[in-house]
Amino acid sequence: MTTALPLFAAGSLGDIFTSLGIDGQMLLFQGLAFLILVFVMGKWVFPILLKTVDQRQEAIEAGAKAAEEAEKKAAEAQEEVAKLLKEARAEAKDIVATAKDEANAMVADSEAKAKTRAEKIVKDAHEQLEKDVIAARRALHNDTIDLVALATEKIVGKTVSDAVDKKIIAAAVKEEA
Amino acid sequence: MAQAKLPRRKIAAYFAEQLLAGHDVSKQVAAYLVESKRTREMSLVVRDIEAALADRGVLLADVASSHDLAADTKAAVTAYLKHATGAKEVHLRSEVDPGLLGGVRIETPDQRLDGTLRHRLDQLTASKV
Repeated sequence: MTTALPLFAAGSLGDIFTSLGIDGQMLLFQGLAFLILVFVMGKWVFPILLKTVDQRQEAIEAGAKAAEEAEKKAAEAQEEVAKLLKEARAEAKDIVATAKDEANAMVADSEAKAKTRAEKIVKDAHEQLEKDVIAARRALHNDTIDLVALATEKIVGKTVSDAVDKKIIAAAVKEEA
Repeated sequence: MAQAKLPRRKIAAYFAEQLLAGHDVSKQVAAYLVESKRTREMSLVVRDIEAALADRGVLLADVASSHDLAADTKAAVTAYLKHATGAKEVHLRSEVDPGLLGGVRIETPDQRLDGTLRHRLDQLTASKV
């Protein structure tokens, strides 16, 4: 501290720079070069960089917007899919219910037809059975008559004597009289 | 001149009256039938003669049985026919047919009585359904 004070107090600015080891011309030149650099950078480099940055910014924003749109569309699509799924489930439920009703109706119809058919078969069987029974009774009746007639003819032809014949004739005449 | 064709009933009536009067006109009637070419009506004429006799109280009956009829059986049949037809005189023409099995079958010009066992059996057989 005691050594610096004498420097400011003792001499001019050039002396100071000199004492500090700074070349004034060099400093001026470097300042000028710096200004030129700033000018060049501001005139040609920075606009390109800023333009690129802006484009990048726009691209990022567009990408974000597109992503947002895509997300929105995805949400809408998901909602649409959910809606479609809901409708599809409802429609499928209706189709299943309708198919179930139709199946039940078909089963009921088939059961009714089968029942009617079975009743008809039973009725026909009863009628056929009755016819068979009547035919069997008739055949038995006729066979019995044939048998009785044949047996009577065979037996009576050998056993009827004059006396018996006389009684038969008397009975016939008496019956007619 | 062609001879008029006599009805069978007139021939039968004539024959019956002559027969009951004691005249046998069978040859005369037979000759007439031959001459008039009506021999095919012979059986019908005989039937009409029997009917004409029956109308006049003389009954000819065909009696068929499986055995020869005894005298009392014939008498019973005769009595029955007199009672049934009102005939004064009954003549039986008996026939034996073992196929009748038993009983009697009586045929007169206008009725038939079949009391044979064969007839009963035939009736039984006919009752088949």
